[in-house]
Amino acid sequence: MKTLEKTLWSTWSRFLTCLVGAVLIGFLVPILTVVLVSFQSKSYLSFPPSDFSIRWYEQFLGNTDYQSAIWNSLAIGAASATLATIAGVCTALAVIRAAVPGAAVVSVLSVAPAVLPQIVLAIGLFPISVWLGLQGTLGAVILAHAVVGLPFPFITVCGALSSYSSRMEIASMSLGANAFQTFRLITFPMIRAAVVAGFIFAFAASLDELVLALFLSSPTTRTLPLLLWEQLNFQVTPEIAAAASVVLAVTSLLIVAAILLPRLGKDK
Amino acid sequence: MLVEGNGILSMKLRKFLLFAPTALLLTPFFLAPLFVIGAESFSGKQGAFGEYVKVVTDPGIRTVLYNTFYVALMVTFFSLLIGYPIAYVLARLKGRWATIGIFLIFLPFWASTVIRSFAWMILLGRNGPVNSAMVGSGLIDEPIRFIDNGVGLMIAMTYIMVPFMVVPILNGLRAIDVNLPRAAAVLGANPWRQFLAVTLPLSMPSIAVGATIVFVTSLGFFVTPSLLGGNRTVVSILISEQANRLLNWPLASALAIVVLLLTIVVFALLRLSQVMSRRRGSARAGALA
Repeated sequence: MKTLEKTLWSTWSRFLTCLVGAVLIGFLVPILTVVLVSFQSKSYLSFPPSDFSIRWYEQFLGNTDYQSAIWNSLAIGAASATLATIAGVCTALAVIRAAVPGAAVVSVLSVAPAVLPQIVLAIGLFPISVWLGLQGTLGAVILAHAVVGLPFPFITVCGALSSYSSRMEIASMSLGANAFQTFRLITFPMIRAAVVAGFIFAFAASLDELVLALFLSSPTTRTLPLLLWEQLNFQVTPEIAAAASVVLAVTSLLIVAAILLPRLGKDK
Repeated sequence: MLVEGNGILSMKLRKFLLFAPTALLLTPFFLAPLFVIGAESFSGKQGAFGEYVKVVTDPGIRTVLYNTFYVALMVTFFSLLIGYPIAYVLARLKGRWATIGIFLIFLPFWASTVIRSFAWMILLGRNGPVNSAMVGSGLIDEPIRFIDNGVGLMIAMTYIMVPFMVVPILNGLRAIDVNLPRAAAVLGANPWRQFLAVTLPLSMPSIAVGATIVFVTSLGFFVTPSLLGGNRTVVSILISEQANRLLNWPLASALAIVVLLLTIVVFALLRLSQVMSRRRGSARAGALA
C-alpha cells in the first residue's frame, strides 16, 4: 500500500514537472510567432509564412516614425528611471534608516503608483500637465513615468537596507565621517545591486507604459509602445512584427548583458 | 555619537530632507491628480453626485463594469490554476534548473505588453495558427472569432499575468519549513495529504497576495482589451473614450474614482485577511502553550 502510494506520487510529480516544463517553453511560442511572421514577404499576416524575406526590416529601418519613437522611449525611460531612483533611494533611507515620523504613510504612497490603474492617474495628470504648460512635451511623460517607476527602486532599496544592520553606518559616523561620506563609502556600496535593479525595473516599466503616454504625449513625443499600439489599431502588418522583433532582440541582449557582465567582472 | 556643532534640530531637518525628492514628485504628479479627479467627478451638470448616479444606474456602464469584473476574476482564476503548479515545481527545483525555470518565466515578461498582445492577435486571428489547426483537424467547421468573443482577451491577459502570480507563490512556498511536510510524513500522511494538509494551507497567504495583484492589475488593464477585447469593453477603455473622444471629464473622473475605490477595497481586504490569519496563528500558538 505504502509503496504503491509512493510510486503513484513520484509518477505524478514527474508528470507535473514535465507539464510545467512544457508550459514554460510554450510561453515562448507567442513571442517566437511574432519573430516568425516578421520574415515573410506578403503584405498581410499569413501563417505559416510561405517564404523568407527581410523587406519588412528594410521598411522598418527606413521609417522615421519608428526612429523618433524609439529615441523618445529611450530618453523618457532613462530620465524617468533616474528621477525615480533618486527619489526611491532617498525615501528608502528615510524610512528604513532615519526613523522619520510619517514613514508608514510615505511608504504606502511610494508603493501606491505601482498598483493604481494608470488610466486613473492619466485622467488626473492631463489637466495638470496642461496647466503647467507641459502637455505634449517629453517632460510630461518623464514626470508621469517617474511616478510610476518610483515603487521599484523604493522596494528594492528598502529590501537591501533591511538586510544589514545600521551599525556600520553608525560606526562610520562615530569615526568622524559626515552623512554624505557615510552614504558614499558605506551605504551605497552595500545597496548598489538593489539600486541598479530598481533602476532597471523603473526603466522597463517606462518602456512598457502606454496609457500615460497616450494622454500626455503629442505626435512628436510619442513613445514606441504608443506607436505600435496606434498602428495595431489601424492595421496589422508584418512591419509591426519586424519592429517588435527588433525590440525583442535588443531587450534580450540587454538582459543577457545584465546577467553576464557581473560574472565577467568577478572572473577578473 | 559625534554630531557637528549645529545640533540635533538640523539632524532632524536633514532627515526630513530625504523625503524631499519623493514629496516634490508625488505631490504635484500623484496626489494632485487624484485631487483633480475627485473635484472633477462632482462637477457634472446633473448636480454633485449626478455622475455617480449615472455610473450606478446607466445599463451600458453597468455592463462594462460587470464585464471588467468578470474578465478580472476569470484571469485571476486561470492565472492561479496555471501559476500555482509552476511555482510549486520551481520551488522544488535546485541549482541550475531553478535558475533556468525562473529565467523562462521572466523571459516573456521582458517583452512589452503591446508586443505580447500583438502575438495573441496573430495566434488567435481568424486565419491564425490556432484556428487553422482546429479547422484543419476537423475539430471545428469554421474559425472561432476569439478576438470578438472575449475568450482571446482572457487568454492573452492570463498569459501576461501568470508571472505576477508565480513570483509571490514561489516566494511563499520557498519560505515553508521543509521539516513540516516531513513531520506530516512521519505521522503517516501520504504525499497528497502532506500537500493538502500542510503545504497548501501554508501557501494560502502568498496565494492571496498573488491573486490580489493579478485581480487589481486586470481591473485596470487597457492595452490588451483595446486590442483583443472586440465589442466587450472594459472600464479603462470606457474612461479613456469618455475623456478623449467625448470630452466628458466629469463622468470619466467619476469612473476613475470608482476604479480607485475598488482598488483600495481589494487591498484593504488583503490586509484584513493578513491581520486575521496572523491573529488566528498567535491565538493557536497561545492555546498550544
